[in-house]
Amino acid sequence: MSARDNDAVRDIPVKAKKRFPWGRLRTNTAAAIFCVIWFFPVYWMVITAFKPRNEVMTVNPVFLPTHWSLQNFRTAIFQTQFLVNLFNSVLTTTVSVVLSVLLAFLACAALTLYRFKGRRSIMVTVLAIQMLPGTALLIPQFIVFNQLGLLNSYMGLILAYIAAVLPFSIWNMRGFFLAIPVDIFESARVEGASEWQILRMITFPLVAPGIISTSVFAFIAAWNDYLTAFTFMKDQSKYTLPVWLASFSTPMGTDFGGQMAASVLFSLPVVIFFMIIQGNMVKGITEGAIK
Amino acid sequence: MTSVTTGVGPVPHSGEDPSRDQGAPRRRNKRQRGLRSNDGKTAAMLFGPTGLILIALVAVPIVFLLISSFSDFNQRSLFTGEFNIVGLRQYVIALSDSEFWFAILRTVLFTAALVLGSVLIGMYISQMMTRLNGAMRYLVTFVLIFAWAMPNVASSIVWKWLFQPGYGVVNWMLTRLRIFGDMSNTAWSNNTALALICIWMLVVWQAVPYIAITLYAATIAVDHSCLEAAQLDGAGSWRLYWQILVPMIKPNLLVVAILSVIWDFNVFNQIWLVSQGGPAGSTATIGVFTYTKAFVSFDIGQGSAIAVITMLMLLVLTGVYIRNLLKSGEDL
Repeated sequence: MSARDNDAVRDIPVKAKKRFPWGRLRTNTAAAIFCVIWFFPVYWMVITAFKPRNEVMTVNPVFLPTHWSLQNFRTAIFQTQFLVNLFNSVLTTTVSVVLSVLLAFLACAALTLYRFKGRRSIMVTVLAIQMLPGTALLIPQFIVFNQLGLLNSYMGLILAYIAAVLPFSIWNMRGFFLAIPVDIFESARVEGASEWQILRMITFPLVAPGIISTSVFAFIAAWNDYLTAFTFMKDQSKYTLPVWLASFSTPMGTDFGGQMAASVLFSLPVVIFFMIIQGNMVKGITEGAIK
Repeated sequence: MTSVTTGVGPVPHSGEDPSRDQGAPRRRNKRQRGLRSNDGKTAAMLFGPTGLILIALVAVPIVFLLISSFSDFNQRSLFTGEFNIVGLRQYVIALSDSEFWFAILRTVLFTAALVLGSVLIGMYISQMMTRLNGAMRYLVTFVLIFAWAMPNVASSIVWKWLFQPGYGVVNWMLTRLRIFGDMSNTAWSNNTALALICIWMLVVWQAVPYIAITLYAATIAVDHSCLEAAQLDGAGSWRLYWQILVPMIKPNLLVVAILSVIWDFNVFNQIWLVSQGGPAGSTATIGVFTYTKAFVSFDIGQGSAIAVITMLMLLVLTGVYIRNLLKSGEDL
């Protein structure tokens, strides 16, 4: 942080003497080192996943594999419960995300477009729910679902995910609702549109980006959940992918190549979604701030 | 379910005053919301389903948590549904258990180490990013987003492989350094200090991107004429940063710090998957400790009491966060 040149210096022409930019070189070197260190775990995961079995465990690690192989992926996909657990993950995640986002859409409409008593306390409650420690909801849900026979069932997991994802979805979508100019609703009402028509034909298209963003974040949160599924689902055939990954083993015993291939398979959809949304977000932050 | 929540949506709103426009339609302007004061019915219909879900899946369970924290609910009760109310006994047991206090102390210290590490590195990276040219900055952003996006279950599994005794690449590199001796067979998770260092690196690795990108955005949004003036007055870049820039991005820094405290306090998966809280419970933070009580030894009453205590502690932190939000002009 002690590098001498920074934004301010560069903008002052008096100081722009012609000499070798040591500070600049230092910053770029630091950035390069940072990138190497920070990217290495991801690199190592991918490289290991594509290594043939005999190059995974070697006395001196192979940093640039010469042989590429899909063997680890075949093992991970076909010699485990991958396909069954993938189905479980997709099913529980999709249902809970669709329901949460739908409920959040209606709730946000109520919370931002209308003024009523207790609105503020609802928002504070919604925010506070997100900050509960994981076990605070897990333990009582376990007790209740046990009584209702919902443990080890899709239904129980979906309900638990909705409880976890809905507050966050409301909080995330609310910002998009608040960005709509109120005048639009005023004029629609003057034209005689019903509340339901306004919601469907004006609000919905206007907050569509918010719905997409919220769905992606809700998807990631539900897809990544390990603790709830690990606690609720006792049969291997009911596991979701995070539990599958954490308990990954193949008939050959501990197989790190297979584990890394499994990690890649599990992370891939999340990373892709995240790149799309977050890349746009970073660009938005940066461009908006420069203006 | 952390690390992607809160602080990521667009927040283009500020400065609304909810108390002003009730029953005073003429004074409404563009920024005020709440179109008609008699829309309570529509609002109730729209919020109804969410309200019911939150009551059934959050409020009722919290009541059950309180009840079970006053009971001797255990594994047998799960089958028979029978349990006795034992008053405050579970709380007394928890509060007189030295393991509980060690878990609290461990959690506080580990959280502090995590927050300090990730915020300082995040501040450094955000500052570095302002000094990089386009291509390099793009690369740093790309790397940050990758580390951010990795699901923590996957990164925990990857970490175990990086630090694996025998063939772990980090062990190999450290051995090559010849500073620590032969570490190729070091089992990180069998040693309290090493396990904590290993988990610390894992959590910090994933926490830095959010902090760095948020602070970077905050930094480039501040008015740079102030910095230039200080620069002309001869302030060094170190002083410039801590005395001029840090006060200017203090609100953002505060939000990042509070969220980090809450998230790091709740870290579970990484500890559970890397060390299982071991060896002998010596890396169990309060979350892992609670989980072990409730779902490994199935002493659910005891687990509930500890969960209630943790919840109250976190509620205080959340209160600080919400007050801070309100103070910064966010209308809830």
